[in-house]
Amino acid sequence: MKLKNIGFSTMQIGIVAIVLAALIAVSSLVSEYFASSYNMMIIARSLAFIGLVTTGQAMLMLLGELDISLGTIGGLCGVIAGMLMVNLGLNPFVSMLLAVMFGALFGLFNGLLVTGLGLHSLVLTIAMAGVYKGINLVLTKGVAITNIPEQVQFLGRGQVWGIPVPFIIMLVIALLITVIAHKSPFGRYIFAIGDNPPAARMLGIKTNRIRIMVFTLAGTLAALAGTLMVARLGTAQPSIGDSWVLPSIAAAVIGGVATTGGVGSPLGAILGAGIIGVIENIIVLYGVSPYWQGVISGVVVVLAISFDSISRRFLFGRH
Amino acid sequence: MKKMVFGAAVAAAVMAGLSGAAVAKDSYRFVIVPKVVHPWFDLVNDGAMEAAAYLKETAGVDVEVEYLAPQTASVVEQNQILERAIATRPDGIAIDLLDASANKPVLEEAQQAGVKLAAFDSVPPDGMVFTAIGNDFCEQAKLASERLVELLGGKGKVAIMQGVPTAPNHNIRYECHKEVFASYPDIELVAEGIDNDDIETAQKQAATIMQSNPDLGGWVACDAAGPIGIGQAIKEAGLEGKVQMVGLDNLPDMITLVEEGVADSSSSTRPQIQGFYSVMMLYDGANGIVTPKTVDTGILLISKDNLEGELR
Repeated sequence: MKLKNIGFSTMQIGIVAIVLAALIAVSSLVSEYFASSYNMMIIARSLAFIGLVTTGQAMLMLLGELDISLGTIGGLCGVIAGMLMVNLGLNPFVSMLLAVMFGALFGLFNGLLVTGLGLHSLVLTIAMAGVYKGINLVLTKGVAITNIPEQVQFLGRGQVWGIPVPFIIMLVIALLITVIAHKSPFGRYIFAIGDNPPAARMLGIKTNRIRIMVFTLAGTLAALAGTLMVARLGTAQPSIGDSWVLPSIAAAVIGGVATTGGVGSPLGAILGAGIIGVIENIIVLYGVSPYWQGVISGVVVVLAISFDSISRRFLFGRH
Repeated sequence: MKKMVFGAAVAAAVMAGLSGAAVAKDSYRFVIVPKVVHPWFDLVNDGAMEAAAYLKETAGVDVEVEYLAPQTASVVEQNQILERAIATRPDGIAIDLLDASANKPVLEEAQQAGVKLAAFDSVPPDGMVFTAIGNDFCEQAKLASERLVELLGGKGKVAIMQGVPTAPNHNIRYECHKEVFASYPDIELVAEGIDNDDIETAQKQAATIMQSNPDLGGWVACDAAGPIGIGQAIKEAGLEGKVQMVGLDNLPDMITLVEEGVADSSSSTRPQIQGFYSVMMLYDGANGIVTPKTVDTGILLISKDNLEGELR
């Protein structure tokens, strides 16, 4: 079963990569601006933040879990980073590191609640999203923290050989996590739990421990996205992360990660995020009315998910 | 004075077209980036389209106006829209800044790409120079808060509904409301809400604040959505006439609240005129004309006395 899943993932990644490449080719034909270096840079930069959240979400989905609070964790940790470096005057890099550690703590807390209380992660994390957003507003009163030190801003705004720094960070982390997911015992445990939790327990896998670790990982990645966004904007906005969660789930599904767990790959999820990013980009470049953008973007995502479902049935006879 | 500014702006815009300045073209494309999808910004877009038609008629140039609105009032989303607009290499972008600091890096990218900029209903970030089209936000707020104080006879408890706290224009209005209230010793500011330019949020916040402050005398707001939500909350609580409100701007729902007597009046910006002059200033800028630092589109206190013919 495990080998079949990994084979399936490779096939799925291939299909998603072909779809993304086709979308890029079509977009280049549709808009003369699409293939410009500036446009490629903004797509990459945008993908960096949502990509980090998607990677964490995809790992959770491989377990059959979801975390709706990842966006608000990102926003809260961005605000914490801002407060530490601006209000308390801590070294900005240390502040960012501490904020990412707070993200790990929030993820750990989510994991402990899900496993300890036996609650459904979807329901629990919807509630926790309210808690983290509430703390954010208590800390900021809705007002952004400005004057983020310039020395950390290159992490959000900088480029190396024309490639945005946050995109490089995201790519390295996503590839590392993909390797861990497919090549390490830890990754194999995740697939086993997602595929059949009772069987995984019978095999002696400490399922709750693995779940808690993945929740912690997802919280860490969301916090990293939030703090990098603070470096990008130069201010710690309370609204950071508000629009990250649904695209992170949609991207993972488009990228071949099954919501039921046990099937998929973080790399596929990143490619899925790329598909969403290109669609959102081309909609604006093509001058679609803002009132239609949500409809078109949503319909394309539904089509992509339907394509994924149909391809599974035809290729693998599996729903 | 304001008429003089308008006149100068129109003259400059038309001259640019008529004089056939060195870089004059047959067609132009300008992008309007508001804070969020919102009826107030639709009026700005209407004004921008009017300017395009005016330029076609008077200068014979084709002007395409593209309206790209973020789905939510999030500076992250607004920056993404802005980046994508820059990628299409328009002749100019007029933007209502959600957060000057956070918008600044992308606006700098636009200037580096040679795209002309104008700010409407907001002011450029510190260190950046381009025309700001709008009104004196402080004057607009003070007109409303002074009117409320007058309605309350200089005595009572008041509340302020903030819009998006990081939006420069909302923040200026908020500070100026506070300044006015602080100057009256018998006026007590007892509550503040944040609606993030969302009517439903404003309604919920206002209802809660009025429950916890049963002796509240009146409201002012810092954004266009706020007073509409406050008005709904006043009506639901049956407090018309007991809780006073001086609103902001001239959305149809706001005008209705004034008509119904739920709001005494509204201190209004002119969104259509802001849209009109945004395009005019971008057109001038694209033709190498030096544009003014500010274009003041004026303020109108809308009350039952002058409702006839006012934007209905």
